[in-house]
Amino acid sequence: MWERIIIKYHNKYVFRRIDTGRIKINKMALLTMSKFIQLSPDATEAGGVLLGRFILDSDDIVIDNVIIPHKKDRRSRHCFIRDKHSHHSEIVRYWKESNGTCNYLGEWHTHPESLPEPSPKDICNWKRILRQAVFDSESLFFIILGTKQLKAWEGLRESLEIKLLATEI
Amino acid sequence: MANVQKQFIDFHETIKLDNENETLREKREIVLNKLKKKISPDAPPYEWFGQGSYSMSTGIKPLTGEYDIDVGLFFDMPKENTEPVSAKQWVFDALNGHTESVIIKTPCVTVTYKENGQPSFHVDLTVYAAKNADGKIYLAKGRPNSALENKFWEPSDPKELIRLVNTHFDEADDRAQFRRVIRYLKRWKDEKFQSGGHSAPTGIALTVSAMSYMRPIYLVDSFTNKRKYDDLSALKTFIKNLLNAFKLIIRIDGSQVERLEVRVPTPNYDDLFAKMTDNQITTFKNKLENLLDALEEAEAEVDPVEACEILQKQFGNDFRVPPKDETAKQKSVAVTTGSSSA
Repeated sequence: MWERIIIKYHNKYVFRRIDTGRIKINKMALLTMSKFIQLSPDATEAGGVLLGRFILDSDDIVIDNVIIPHKKDRRSRHCFIRDKHSHHSEIVRYWKESNGTCNYLGEWHTHPESLPEPSPKDICNWKRILRQAVFDSESLFFIILGTKQLKAWEGLRESLEIKLLATEI
Repeated sequence: MANVQKQFIDFHETIKLDNENETLREKREIVLNKLKKKISPDAPPYEWFGQGSYSMSTGIKPLTGEYDIDVGLFFDMPKENTEPVSAKQWVFDALNGHTESVIIKTPCVTVTYKENGQPSFHVDLTVYAAKNADGKIYLAKGRPNSALENKFWEPSDPKELIRLVNTHFDEADDRAQFRRVIRYLKRWKDEKFQSGGHSAPTGIALTVSAMSYMRPIYLVDSFTNKRKYDDLSALKTFIKNLLNAFKLIIRIDGSQVERLEVRVPTPNYDDLFAKMTDNQITTFKNKLENLLDALEEAEAEVDPVEACEILQKQFGNDFRVPPKDETAKQKSVAVTTGSSSA
């Protein structure tokens, strides 16, 4: 089942960023997230943080890893509340082990709808994160995995503008 | 576009081999001293010069471990005075017995040195008649048992060829990229073709092809006004141009083949791909197409690690795949908030 979804997503995991550069979701990260796609009627929402590299001499970004739901997270059919501390310690661990090159890039979660759209609550949450989180870049990325499609948004720290990203053809 | 220029430059540093290489110089000196001492008094005076890829700064380390050194000998004589094979015989006689294997080949005399029973390098000595009434230079061709029509003096101008390659492109940085691109393609050839016979194109064929079809490619940084050379793009464009130069030929029997013809810019103006059979040239073209696909795929790849994995399949293990942390900027650690989505 997951294989089928990966194939459907194939070649559609490189997005153009708002300004310049591209963002790519590497296979491992994609595979990990797609295990949580809410295909069965009783599957609960899942989510976590996105981790990856700011590529040297470019504006390109690669999502290498995702942190998956922790037992302290609260999950229901239509809601996912990520625990701050457990995910943070994972972020620090990845950062340390990579010499400061594997960094926090944003958030992902699932939706039980085929073509995912962020709810007003999602938008609010993303803007709050853009304001409150401490991160060494100008923007963060937000991914929602629907049952048939994955979509990605980029949110700018300064303006709090959030834009859906187009896939690279 | 994945930026893999650093990886290409590292690759070049790993594979390049030039005249500065100590071992090669040393071995060349030994052969030349031997020749000086033992050459027949019948032979006229000669002057030697380094030729081949090292003299053109396009030499690479051999994958097989067998290094080759090319030495040209300009004999101070007109071609009419001596049969070409007799002139080669002077060189052969002086060096015969010096190593286990000294042989007269059609274009040269080859002295092979072995280490632990395996050939470790060979010296190809090419004999020229360099003082002719017509002002031209002639290369001695043929082996002692060749048919008479295969023993002849062939017009040649090796020093001019070296000069043309060494002065190709006016600017030093352009020339440096030209040489790097040739070396990449030569290593690719060594990786992708079985050695022996004419199944693979020769190094000089690839070098002269680059003179016709390779153009330097770089970006100019608008702040510093410095050039940022892009070897991946330069090689890709070169291969694209080279593939476009293949021309369809229809044989009398109706069969069709696409062939490449690239002539050496000095006498004897030979087509450097002429010795490859139709099948060999078709294989060469297919491999070039695979190389082009890989270069395009690597260029489109966002992740430099994955781009290098694609390139390593073409250029072999000397093309290094960097660990992830070498490809990314170092940042300070993030502190996240909680997150609640719906």
